[in-house]
Amino acid sequence: MTRTTTIDRADVTWLLRRMRLIRQASERIARLYPTDVMETPVHLCIGQEAVPVGLCRHLRDDDKLFLGHRTHGPALAKGLPLPKLMAELYGRTTGCSHGYGGSMHVIDLEHGLPGSSAIVGGSIALGVGAGLAAKLTGASWIGVSYFGDAATNAGVFYESLNFAALRRLPVLFLCEDNGWSNVMPKSAHSAHDITGVAEQMMPVLQADGTDALSVYEHAGHAVERIRGGGGPMLLHCRTKRWMKHQGPERCDLAANHIDPERDCPIVRLETWAQRSGMLGADECTAITAEIEREIDAAIAFAEASPFPQPELVEV
Amino acid sequence: MPWSKFRQDYAAPTGGRPLSYCAAIREAIDQAMRHDPRVFAIGLDADDKFGVFGSMANLTHPERVLGTPIAENAMTGVALGAALSGLRPIHVHLRNDFLLVAMDQIVNYVAKWQDMFDHQVRVPLVIRSIIGRGWGCGAQHSQSLHGLFAQVPGLKVVMPSTPYDVKGLFLAAVADDSPVLFLEHRWLYKNTGDVPEALYTLPFGRCARLHEGESLTVVAASLAAVHARLACETHGLDVDLLDPRTIKPLDIDGIVASVQRTGRLLVVDHDFPFGGFAAEIVAQVAERAHGALRQPPQRICFPDRGMPASGVLERAYYPTPDRLAAAMQAMLAGELVGGGHGF
Repeated sequence: MTRTTTIDRADVTWLLRRMRLIRQASERIARLYPTDVMETPVHLCIGQEAVPVGLCRHLRDDDKLFLGHRTHGPALAKGLPLPKLMAELYGRTTGCSHGYGGSMHVIDLEHGLPGSSAIVGGSIALGVGAGLAAKLTGASWIGVSYFGDAATNAGVFYESLNFAALRRLPVLFLCEDNGWSNVMPKSAHSAHDITGVAEQMMPVLQADGTDALSVYEHAGHAVERIRGGGGPMLLHCRTKRWMKHQGPERCDLAANHIDPERDCPIVRLETWAQRSGMLGADECTAITAEIEREIDAAIAFAEASPFPQPELVEV
Repeated sequence: MPWSKFRQDYAAPTGGRPLSYCAAIREAIDQAMRHDPRVFAIGLDADDKFGVFGSMANLTHPERVLGTPIAENAMTGVALGAALSGLRPIHVHLRNDFLLVAMDQIVNYVAKWQDMFDHQVRVPLVIRSIIGRGWGCGAQHSQSLHGLFAQVPGLKVVMPSTPYDVKGLFLAAVADDSPVLFLEHRWLYKNTGDVPEALYTLPFGRCARLHEGESLTVVAASLAAVHARLACETHGLDVDLLDPRTIKPLDIDGIVASVQRTGRLLVVDHDFPFGGFAAEIVAQVAERAHGALRQPPQRICFPDRGMPASGVLERAYYPTPDRLAAAMQAMLAGELVGGGHGF
């Protein structure tokens, strides 16, 4: 496949800003979480930021992204405004799901986020449905099913790929492979090779999920081909989960080796951007400070927002 | 023209002509697809040469009928994803039992999607499935399970008994912006009745009175309603027979009003007894009109075990019109009829 994806300063700035947004928001959530202001389980994606941003730089607002339980990163990358996410975590009416969804059920119709699911695997099929709708109506959007490595053990993964391939639907299957199903390593939960299974049915690309440029490049090829009528593809992104499956704590599993420099998608992009002359060190620092202010504002918004009326549950 | 323009009340059909239950569904599906390009049908063998027992034969838009692999769970998710993307899918199943393969999608996804996001999205999805029983089909091809599905918030459950109702309620299901489970009993397919040719929708949550009487209220849906009517007419029983038509929403007001007049309640339910639809009606009537009951309310359901295959066993397992008549006569005489474990 020819490599035609190009990247410019605006792309790099966008990738870095969104990764910083996801990282710093996650770190803030982790700091606040023990105070119980957020009464909802949180599945943070510190260390995995390269995957959603590299993908979403190529998606339009009308492309439909379906997520599993680890929502914050891909939702923010797709365009969910941080105040709406924070307010949802705080259980407020101004949250993206008006306080009915919580961390695992986020939605933003304006930005092509028709909802997310906490049952691992099932949302893979919904992205296929979005692709089917595009094909039946002649619309130019694509469906994106975004899932982790453990979801590939569920039958719905195979069923969804099979149907998308049979009908040549405009669907991207994005596997964010962090190597863990809760505390179970991939070697214990999957006898199959994820890309091997998918390759029987569709073309597969593999990206380095700790490198935003690698994901950006491969996602660009995949989205272009799918949008052009080439049928479904799977993009496999191997990444690393720095946190526990759920909650604000770092992952302490002995087998999960994290090198905070080499494995960090933000360090990698900043280093590359500065070496290549795309961005200056001062610009990177400025982005970090801007994002902190955005987070302050989002939390202030959430804290000032009203709680839902309990009597509304009696509908 | 918007779907809301087609709303009708339950006035007796006018301008109708005799049509079978099966032909009435077929006409409804065909009209829905012709009227609204967002409507499409999908399902295992949906595009087979038999046209789903004739109910989808020779449609005007065969290009909007998609066959699928045997993968009910993912296909339900596909239908949901298409509904969330602006289409109005009809997901069809040849046997109701196959829905159980898709319970994750039906219960966790389809039914919950609107509540999880405070109804910011529409889920205009119809899940159509056929209850097929008898001729030794056994325990995995004969179930109804409407009580199970009605227990899940977010699902409407519709099971009409007449050709007129099946057409109007099916079109109402397609017009609905929330998920509807539409159950058709295979044994009703050849029954005929007057059906208007025009496109019309009928409201959910309204009982039909199939037989008038003052001494016993009988509630029965789908095939059970047809059997109960036969029993009433054959034996000239003083029975107020109500067909709820939609299990959920339920016209409990109509049922309670009848019980307050008759003082007696029998629910005939072609489903398992424990925690089921019949139990729900008895509970709601007890909550709202206990004082009106002259004797304990009774249920006739399937036995609390899987369906047998041998014809001899089948005939013992399933309630017949004669057995319903005997039960009604017993209740009219002030006797109990055997609780929820079948009569």
